[in-house]
Amino acid sequence: MSKRSRRLLPFSAPVRAALVSLAFTLLISVPVLAFVYHQTDTLFEQRIRDRIDTRERNLLNGYRSDGTKGLLRVIQEELDTGLVRNGAILLVDSSNRKIAGNIAAWPPTLTTGTDWIEIRLYPEGSRQAVLYALRTLQLPSGGRLLLGSNVEDRERMRASLLEALIGALLLAIPLGLIGGAMVLRVTERHAREVGKVATRIAAGDFSHRLDEEAQGQEFGMIAAAINAMLERIEELVEQLRLVTDSLAHDLRSPLTRMRANIEKAAGYAAAEPEQQALEAISTDIDRLLRVISATLEISRAEAGMGRQQFENFDLGEMIRSICEIYQPVVEQRGLSLEFQGAGDFPYVGNRQMIGRAVANLMDNALKYGADGGSIELGLRDLGENAEIIVSDRGAGIPAELREDAMRKYRRLEEARTTDGSGLGLAMARAVARLHGGDLALEDNQPGLRVRLLLRRQDGNIADV
Amino acid sequence: MSKKILVVEDDPTTAEYVANGLEQNGFIVDRASDGRDGLFHATDGNYAAIVLDRMLPGMDGLAVLSAIRAAGIQTPVIVLSALGSTDERVKGLKAGSDDYLPKPFAFSELLARIEALQRRGPASAQEVTTSLSCADLHMDLLTRRVERGSLRIDVQPREFRLLELLLRNKGQVVTRTMMLEEVWDYHFDPGTNVIDVHISRLRKKIDEGSDTPLLHTVRGVGYMLCEQA
Repeated sequence: MSKRSRRLLPFSAPVRAALVSLAFTLLISVPVLAFVYHQTDTLFEQRIRDRIDTRERNLLNGYRSDGTKGLLRVIQEELDTGLVRNGAILLVDSSNRKIAGNIAAWPPTLTTGTDWIEIRLYPEGSRQAVLYALRTLQLPSGGRLLLGSNVEDRERMRASLLEALIGALLLAIPLGLIGGAMVLRVTERHAREVGKVATRIAAGDFSHRLDEEAQGQEFGMIAAAINAMLERIEELVEQLRLVTDSLAHDLRSPLTRMRANIEKAAGYAAAEPEQQALEAISTDIDRLLRVISATLEISRAEAGMGRQQFENFDLGEMIRSICEIYQPVVEQRGLSLEFQGAGDFPYVGNRQMIGRAVANLMDNALKYGADGGSIELGLRDLGENAEIIVSDRGAGIPAELREDAMRKYRRLEEARTTDGSGLGLAMARAVARLHGGDLALEDNQPGLRVRLLLRRQDGNIADV
Repeated sequence: MSKKILVVEDDPTTAEYVANGLEQNGFIVDRASDGRDGLFHATDGNYAAIVLDRMLPGMDGLAVLSAIRAAGIQTPVIVLSALGSTDERVKGLKAGSDDYLPKPFAFSELLARIEALQRRGPASAQEVTTSLSCADLHMDLLTRRVERGSLRIDVQPREFRLLELLLRNKGQVVTRTMMLEEVWDYHFDPGTNVIDVHISRLRKKIDEGSDTPLLHTVRGVGYMLCEQA
């Protein structure tokens, strides 16, 4: 879904929002401005038409009362009073000779009986052609009358109107963009707020809530819904904690009793076969216990428990000490341990869990990388993350099986024959995620390279 | 020194298991089956150590522990818990326990830890020692020199701490988990035999070429430094 919409609009969110806002602005302002233009123009034309109508009435009244003489009187009046300074008037007889007016001759292309025609004509005594709106009349005497109005003004008005409207449109573009940016900023602020809380929740810190009051109506509703969801998640996690605690108790207590009884029985059983059988049971209890413990620890880490024990410690020192713990056993197995460590590396996290995760990875490297030459343990500073690398030169894991290998109980076929719970990688991943990081399995060519990413916590242990 | 131990545990099988084991090892054991009773005993008697279950009827184990400490009683306390996660351990230690042992445990592990706690004693009474020894093995804590007889032994820093732990608990069993906790400060059970390899290296350094080995393996439990096998 989101992928498709992203393909349709290949821009980042802010640009997208600005463009959408701009499109809306144009969509609204262009028709409004066009309407304004049309109305103004129509109004202007109507005024010209009204003036021509009035003059036509006057002229025809003159004609009706006194024939051509009356008409000539009105024409002369118009010319004298300057009524036609901005207009045109011309009377010709049936043989097209000029009788009166301020235009030299009847334009050859002009027919009679037109109501409104725009033509450029030269007024008498002027070298400048003027655009007129003309009306022509056929008189009963056989003569023809032309009367017109200068519409140059309208052209000028049109031009400046268009200019003003385009100006308004140009002004609307930045306003649209700014409006878009402002809406975006408000939305973004709310989104960031939600995102921040969500990130903390994802890292297992359930104590945060959105402010329902300060967010405005719509965002307040979203905040309330999210808070209700958080309430529920917190409840579920608390339930999970109770369940794992009581499960731990209910499973461990009988195992403790079982062990007590086995040791008691071993005290009575003198013969070697009985002793061996009891010892085998004891070993299996230990194994069972390890699986239970690991499973519970993974579940707790996945639910974000363990943040309470975040502390400041030196990750560099930790990796050095793990290297030191494993060095002898690696060498005893005929392998070599190569250490690529940083110096001091202050970090905030759960030291015990990270130590356990790295020890699990080292155990795996020892178990499955036994035929290869060396095991590498390294720590790198990636800025936002710390990266712990454990790699071996063993058989590795095929790319398509890597995701599976990190799931709980998903031991790969070859590994089934060897001893182990199949929880090492799952535990390491849970620990990495508890620290806002992740676990990645890669090809070491040959062998397996495990990268444990741990996010730096911004020194934030204040509220736990 | 008093050899009286208080065991506060509601599960009768476990309580009997612990009590029998301790009695066989020469301790006198008092038993309490709930938190209230346990607290009453703790404030009353003069115990060498208290073994306290984490989950008790009536009063939570950690609440009992806090009450004991609030009353100014400094008796070493070792908490037994079915809550084995590392978080719970930290909670236990913060509440004032001296050690924390997840269930199920081997009795030998518990015994080793009780012995170690007794040896350590209350912090105030701990005298400042500058040297440790076992037979002809000597360790100078100031110059960090280790000698077997007249021969100087070269040990790495962690080996030094491992040997120091064994010397401080001379004649007592030190378990693998105790070593991992004390020397490296990790509280988990490594899947591989990492500790055994460290010990075999150390043993090579101090016992090789000697007629009387000092570092002994206690089968299924751990290691012990002592003169006679």
